[in-house]
Amino acid sequence: MAKSEPKPTPVSHVDEPELHKHDSHETDVHEPGPRNLFQRLYAAFESPGRRRALHVAILAILIVTPWISSQYTTVILTNALLYVVLCLGLNIVVGYAGLLDLGYAAFFAVGAYTVSILTQQFGVNFWAAIPFSLMAAALAGVIIGGPTLRLRSDYLAIVTLGFGEIVRFTARNLEITGGASGLSHIPEPSLFGWHIDSSIDFYYVFVVLAVLAYIASQRLFDSRLGRAWLYVRHDEDAAEAMGINRVATKLTAYVIGAIFGAIGGIFFSVNLGAISPESFSFQQSVLILLAVVLGGMGKIPGVILGAFIVVLGPELLRDFGTLRLLIFAVLLLLIMLFRPSGIWPEKRS
Amino acid sequence: MTWYDSFLQQLVDGLVLGSFYALVALGYTMVFGVIKLLNFAHGDLYMTGAFAGFGGLSLISGFVGTGWLGIFIAMLLAMLAVGCLGVVIERVAYHPMLGAPRLSILITALAVSLVLQNAALAMTGGQYTAFRTDLGFDGFNLGNLYLSYNQIVLVATAAILMIALELFVSKTLYGRAMRAVSIDKDMCRMMGINVSAVIAVTFFIGSGLAAAAGTMAGAYYGSIWYFMGFLIGLKAFTAAVIGGIGSITGAMLGGLILGLLESFGTHIPFIGSEWKDVFTFSILILVLVFKPTGLLGKSEVERM
Amino acid sequence: MGKFLKLIASAAVINLAAGSLAMAQDGPITLGVQVPTTGSEATYGKDMFNAMSLAADEINANGGLLGGRQIELVTGDTACDPQQSVNAASRLASREVVGVVGGYCSGATQPTLKTYGDANIPFVIVAANSTQLIPANPGNAVMINSTGDDQAKTALDFFEGKGIEKLAIVNQGDAYSQDLANLTRDAWTGAGHTVSAFEYINKGEQDFSALVNKIRGSGAEAVFWTAYYADGGLLIRQLRQRGFQGTIAVGDGSNSPELFNIAGQAAEGVYAFSNPTADFLPAAKQFVSDYQSKFDNAPGPYAPLAYDGLQLMAWAIDKAGSTDADAIVKALNSADGQEWLAGPISFTSQHTLARSNFVVLEGQGGKWTRYEKK
Repeated sequence: MAKSEPKPTPVSHVDEPELHKHDSHETDVHEPGPRNLFQRLYAAFESPGRRRALHVAILAILIVTPWISSQYTTVILTNALLYVVLCLGLNIVVGYAGLLDLGYAAFFAVGAYTVSILTQQFGVNFWAAIPFSLMAAALAGVIIGGPTLRLRSDYLAIVTLGFGEIVRFTARNLEITGGASGLSHIPEPSLFGWHIDSSIDFYYVFVVLAVLAYIASQRLFDSRLGRAWLYVRHDEDAAEAMGINRVATKLTAYVIGAIFGAIGGIFFSVNLGAISPESFSFQQSVLILLAVVLGGMGKIPGVILGAFIVVLGPELLRDFGTLRLLIFAVLLLLIMLFRPSGIWPEKRS
Repeated sequence: MTWYDSFLQQLVDGLVLGSFYALVALGYTMVFGVIKLLNFAHGDLYMTGAFAGFGGLSLISGFVGTGWLGIFIAMLLAMLAVGCLGVVIERVAYHPMLGAPRLSILITALAVSLVLQNAALAMTGGQYTAFRTDLGFDGFNLGNLYLSYNQIVLVATAAILMIALELFVSKTLYGRAMRAVSIDKDMCRMMGINVSAVIAVTFFIGSGLAAAAGTMAGAYYGSIWYFMGFLIGLKAFTAAVIGGIGSITGAMLGGLILGLLESFGTHIPFIGSEWKDVFTFSILILVLVFKPTGLLGKSEVERM
Repeated sequence: MGKFLKLIASAAVINLAAGSLAMAQDGPITLGVQVPTTGSEATYGKDMFNAMSLAADEINANGGLLGGRQIELVTGDTACDPQQSVNAASRLASREVVGVVGGYCSGATQPTLKTYGDANIPFVIVAANSTQLIPANPGNAVMINSTGDDQAKTALDFFEGKGIEKLAIVNQGDAYSQDLANLTRDAWTGAGHTVSAFEYINKGEQDFSALVNKIRGSGAEAVFWTAYYADGGLLIRQLRQRGFQGTIAVGDGSNSPELFNIAGQAAEGVYAFSNPTADFLPAAKQFVSDYQSKFDNAPGPYAPLAYDGLQLMAWAIDKAGSTDADAIVKALNSADGQEWLAGPISFTSQHTLARSNFVVLEGQGGKWTRYEKK
């Protein structure tokens, strides 16, 4: 590849005339002289025209995949899409607002348990239960965020970790949450006569959720609030001086992140049909955080990439048996060492 | 048992547990002091230390047996080996990351933790390894209070290690350099202090202490496995924060407090032992919210 | 660049699609083995897999199934983790296995019931026995190990037989041990006795001193540990170390010989409620020696059940006369008390084993011996 492109300049797409045309309209999007393979690769997707084409292509791939692949692939991809939703949610807290959260699985758990208890034990309709579930998660966000947001980042990490564990232990100890066995027989939802039941049904539900999460993340990033998060993350005092309410801004990030987590949890519980405290452990929180940082904090495509890596990585290595997690861990370490800001880092900072 | 006897027994047991927490918490706090990193792999160094101690003991048991003498030698070997491992980890994984965003280095630490855990998993196949020793169950009773010789040796060893550390930090040149580095790295550089060397020494000592705790825990409780560092890592971290992270005395104090809290927490009336950890974490959160610097930490202004 | 990406994408699709290649009609019969081969319960999983491969080899040597088709086993590693086991189960389902045999940890087995139910794959659960599995079974699974209810009953009889009045029950906060602890507590208090302490410990915790003090302080005459051997060994050690003189019994998650390794001397005189292990089964003599010569170690506690599970599945396939799932499930449920390695198998309307297979063992001289009530 180095041979065909001796000079690392942006004008090198001679073999792709159509895309080249786009380039000439939007040369300002490119930074002068992309330096390495990664940057050139990413730069290729930064122009709006290509991005649109990429969106269409990815959506098309997502839609046809279940029809040309096995059920296993569908299940794993569903799992990856769930992580996309969760990671985009955590990205709002960690990537946008710069708050370290080691207990994100707590929100995931609150969403899952609220909806499961309401539908299974009180017979509430699934769709009617969702608003309650989201409110519970938002409330949890306020409870966790409220007293802790003044803490410095390392302490915030340990406090969120503590809350995460408290939520899990509580779920394990209470009668209504089914104790350690958790809840099973969570009824599958129906939508306008469509009984969402098979793994392909759930796959499409998660495609829709991931797309919505993607759009919402993008909108938030470009919004006034998104800029407020950026200022707070970079310089709290200056942000405050500019009239931004620091605590309220951070708290909003927490609450929105919590709602994303709850949405993931709600559909996770109906998909699996059973939930137990083990699904909401510290390791789960770490895995989500890992995906966010690995992909590139604050950078939406990076975060999505991270989500796919943490789900597909161990699965693709399944044939290595016991060694697969070791290989995965070593790869992870190498990625962090060579791409410390993540695989697809954000440029705005 | 009377209320008073039971109280004393909890106190003794809490001190034993607390010594382990304190030894592990020291590593967290020292590393945090010099490079402001929450070393998530620290609990796994404790685990590695337990396996190193086990390996060391099997090597030397033919000559010195598996009593306290053998365990001490094995412990020193483990401290040396894991201390070096800690330095290597710092060089390979953390040193190149010191300029990177704070979260990235934290994730690197998590990755190191995963590597150590899974390496041990691959080597042991996830099985528990019995750590066989000649230590009996002997002890003596003071009234209704039960004390085993093992407990006494264990607490004494932990105390000696901690006193040695305290002397090292307050009296030696390296110790003073360590404190200076934790206050202002750039200033130290300008004054000709070899900051890299100080960081290396810190990692060596911190990891060595974790290995000491690991070996002693393995010998005392009698079994080791690849995941044993996780829970204690979490709790020692909590202990370090309660004491005030960055403060060495704070880590010792935090460890003992946490040990006692857990010991007594099991006995709170009307609340079963299933709520013990909820209790521990609630205390942690309360401490942080109302006394964010921990008990002995200094307040500092932080910018991300 | 575009071409390069396309190439990657198409390679990925081909790779993923390869799993769904249909099996030939007269090719081998693929059976899934769902066991933990990694994680802390891997010992049990590997042992169960060995026993099943022994059974498969025997069947294949005798001419296979359905007129000469050989059995082929594929493993799905659950690691005793619910999410991983669902991944493993759907991978097995995608490979179009004719049936699945296995299931060790109840918590990890439970969510896979739905996977196999949706894919309509017959499932013989050989070890997992939480009562929580019963309502989660969509009808295509059978359980050949006695359930927690039976074990609680065994525990009740045993402790009553020992003249115990105050019992302490300790579990590990996971699906299996909490279920057994709750069932035993209800049975014990239901019979008019006292549960003096009902406690939890976390997996991987090492120091149980406070718990031991509490148990001693509660005046318990006996302790029942309902979870797995690794932490159980430590608990037993510390109970004896601190001078607890009463009876100690453990559930079937702790019936491994490894318990003696960890607890050492303290495991002497400890009782275990157990499914029938190979040493105590008269019919298993041949099995034990075959296993020993093939794998160079003694069969573990779940080896006979695993062996039976695979044999039962094979028997059902032959009886069904095809690899049709509905016919196999029907054949499985029609099992009417034939003798297998671990005793006769027939099922209740809930698809659970129709009899209690629990025996009481006693630790003596570093191994389990059959306990006969005096």
